[in-house]
Amino acid sequence: MRSQKLFAITLIAAVTLCLQAFGAGKIFPYPYVQEELPNGLRLITIPTEFPNIVSVFIVVGTGSRNEVEPGKSGFAHLFEHLMFRGTPEFPPDKYQATLRAAGAASNAFTTDDFTAYHTTFSKEDLPRVLSMEADRFQHLSFEPEAFKTETLAVLGEYNKNSANPASKLFETVRATAFENHTYRHTAMGFLADIQAMPNAYDYSRQFFDRYYRPENTTIIVAGDVEAKRVRSLVDERWGTWKRGNFKVRIPAEPPQEGARTAHVDWPSPTLPWISVSFHAPAYSEEGTDGIALDAISRLGFGNTSPLYQKLVITEQKTDVLRAGFSNHVDPELFTVTARVKKQSDVASVQQQILDTLVGFAGTPVDAAKLDTVKHRLRYQVALGLDNSEAVAELAARYVGLRKTPESMNREYENYDRLTPDDLQRAAKKFFTEKNRTIVTLSSEGGSK
Amino acid sequence: MKVGAIVLTLAAASLAFAEPKFIQLPGKSPIVSIRLVFTTGAAFDPSGKAGAANLTAGLLGGGGTKSLTRKEILDAMYPMATSVSVQTDKEMTVFSGETHIDNLEKFYGIMRDMILNPGWRADDFTRVRDDTLNTLKVSLRGNNDEELGKEELYSLIYTGHPYSHEDLGTVAALTSMTLADLQAFYKRHYTQANLMVGLAGGYPANFPERIKRDFAALPAGSPDRLEAKNLAPPVHNQATIIEKDTRSVAWSLGFPMDVKRGDPDYPALLLAQSWLGQHRLGGRLFERMREQRGLNYGDYAYVEYFPFGMFTLEPPANIARHQQIFQIWVRPVEPPTATFTLRLAMFELNRVIEEGITEKDFQQTRSFLPKYINVLTKSKDAELGYAIDSAFYGIPNYNEYIRTALGQLTLADVNRAIRKHWHADRIQIVSVAKDAAALKASLTSGEPSPIQYNAPKPKDILDEDRIVERWPLKLRPEDVQIVPVSQVFEN
Repeated sequence: MRSQKLFAITLIAAVTLCLQAFGAGKIFPYPYVQEELPNGLRLITIPTEFPNIVSVFIVVGTGSRNEVEPGKSGFAHLFEHLMFRGTPEFPPDKYQATLRAAGAASNAFTTDDFTAYHTTFSKEDLPRVLSMEADRFQHLSFEPEAFKTETLAVLGEYNKNSANPASKLFETVRATAFENHTYRHTAMGFLADIQAMPNAYDYSRQFFDRYYRPENTTIIVAGDVEAKRVRSLVDERWGTWKRGNFKVRIPAEPPQEGARTAHVDWPSPTLPWISVSFHAPAYSEEGTDGIALDAISRLGFGNTSPLYQKLVITEQKTDVLRAGFSNHVDPELFTVTARVKKQSDVASVQQQILDTLVGFAGTPVDAAKLDTVKHRLRYQVALGLDNSEAVAELAARYVGLRKTPESMNREYENYDRLTPDDLQRAAKKFFTEKNRTIVTLSSEGGSK
Repeated sequence: MKVGAIVLTLAAASLAFAEPKFIQLPGKSPIVSIRLVFTTGAAFDPSGKAGAANLTAGLLGGGGTKSLTRKEILDAMYPMATSVSVQTDKEMTVFSGETHIDNLEKFYGIMRDMILNPGWRADDFTRVRDDTLNTLKVSLRGNNDEELGKEELYSLIYTGHPYSHEDLGTVAALTSMTLADLQAFYKRHYTQANLMVGLAGGYPANFPERIKRDFAALPAGSPDRLEAKNLAPPVHNQATIIEKDTRSVAWSLGFPMDVKRGDPDYPALLLAQSWLGQHRLGGRLFERMREQRGLNYGDYAYVEYFPFGMFTLEPPANIARHQQIFQIWVRPVEPPTATFTLRLAMFELNRVIEEGITEKDFQQTRSFLPKYINVLTKSKDAELGYAIDSAFYGIPNYNEYIRTALGQLTLADVNRAIRKHWHADRIQIVSVAKDAAALKASLTSGEPSPIQYNAPKPKDILDEDRIVERWPLKLRPEDVQIVPVSQVFEN
């Protein structure tokens, strides 16, 4: 028993020391070097303590937001695929062979606001990977035949996800809540546009010419690296990349002037879904509205919220209840989503979601509860940064918004200052009936 | 289909085996990973109680403890940003979590009580069972054709074997399951002899001893042991078409394989699999089916069980098994190309068995794998998971094991192992499709299934297509069963 008590005392002492250190620092804990090459390309090098492995994320500041021409939704994502179609120096088979020789894990993803290409590998292969990536970003070359084949892989990706009603729900929320802005479509794009992609080869070349330019791109190198050496490797192969001059005009979304609803009839059996959305602010390093909505999503609908406890744990009427506000370059949505176990409970669950939102506008939250959210976020970030790939990806998320991971530190400094009044003000401002879109989904024949 | 006798035994009690095994990766990181692995699982579900192992673990990890309700656990975990994940496979049940060292005492205390002092509350039981039923009936049957097909394949491959039912259980068994069934499973299988404790990160030096002392409260027990013999694939190819209203057609195919980590041919088959179907890394199937022909989003092959592949590029750790599988997994295709796609997958499998891989492919893949395994174990938690699996299989550190074995491997070893363990007939095939009758007719008619492309193709592809479109699937009408989706996982 004695040793157990000693153990506890030791731990408490350790906890006190660590908390002082833990709470005080920047949320993004890694020192990094951020540089800009003469051609506008940004380079961020983040040495980490994780040995042997390096992770490279290349962030192109183009996502489905940039798909402004009608009928051309999904092209940013299509490019995520086309970028693996090779160059004269590295045709696809040689590119893949080189990655395999490096033992690399390589992939890419497309968001509403940016596209990220990432490769994680052993540190000795850094020159080879940076060189090959420089080649494909400057000299991508694909023939119409390969282009058409790749468009089918994109259709295959749509097919892969199409059996999930949550995908259709999300598509419908976007298409209902937005009229003008390109957030009207998801990053996958409209199905009709995906099916028409094979005939848009010339447009694809134009898309590449516009956006795959150094001033629109940031290279993040995290892991067992040294900044000077990375800079010299990047200078060598990326310095020749030519600037572009295209400026995109994204159509603004007018204020929503009335509540909107939509319903999806799902062809096969499913539990009914409800989605309640409100237009929400763009990402900002200065304002508090966005982070206030983020805090509301956690306090109102997270797994310790009263509504979650009631609907999921106690009454067991829903098996999914979540809310989200995600950072976007332009104003997007705050959304609450629920999957209800019985059709007869849908109306009641929907009303309870609305009542909860109204509650945030009516009464300030308990400051201690808000502190709990702040506390959690710090630990959540720390726990997530357990390898170099995770470090690079987190940096990439903020580079996609403000071209630097420093933006994350600013956002969390604001979060630390967030007050219950900020939450109440944001709730009053955004949770209005005319700003609201409700979409439901149920099996065909279910009540709407 | 004939499958040999399977014997499930509980080994004779032996004090020498009654203590938990510890796998430790101490370090300086402020993040501590804890993995409590019980070497038991769905293979030990009692007769008529399919899903008992998974539901027991789900209730322990997703319900309250004696002293804390579920709500109180969530409240306590929230500011620490921690949670306990539960994963049940055939022979392993894992409770895992990561915490910042600041919160180790509090987090560990809750995690420990989940296992040692479960609350066994009726409302928790109802909620966790409903969630499991909805995963079967809604998430798998309804929402995800790729995983639906794969899960059905994993069951069919093991017809007549303790692995034969879905880990989550069946709708019928879950509906009649009681809290007492779970308590009985817990009492019998949650023993010190079945426990492996994995620790990584900057935990205190006396932490392992503390855990050992705490978990001495479990019965000593004896290790659950699975003995499987004479597992045989079907005599003919067998196909199951799951019929549902969906826009595309998914394929999964495979057979059981008696080669696992530590067996002499495992490194050779790992290399062959990596060449044929490594996830997203330019495997042969991916290259021929997606890159050259644009049939779908991806095509893969594995020599081990790989659940949740829809959501992850890398298989999870701690699903170690005494018997493994060979599988090819074809992501959903447009319905007009469905039969051609299956033929192409079978054609490629037949080709690698008959022709083997080339010296160039061998060298390239051999240099790839040791480095890629470093990427797989890039986090301390992943490294810990692999270390636990290595202890299960009785092999050294996985990275070293693979590096050493690959260094000694020859091309002849690989091609011999392929011919010995892989076959292009006697395969279980599962499809998820809308028009099952038409698909069955197409599969069994023997008629060609030519493909139309949206762009010109090189001559070698078109020449190959002439062969593929007539490739014998060796499926007779009696080899193809149509199952309405509502019946899958039902009994």
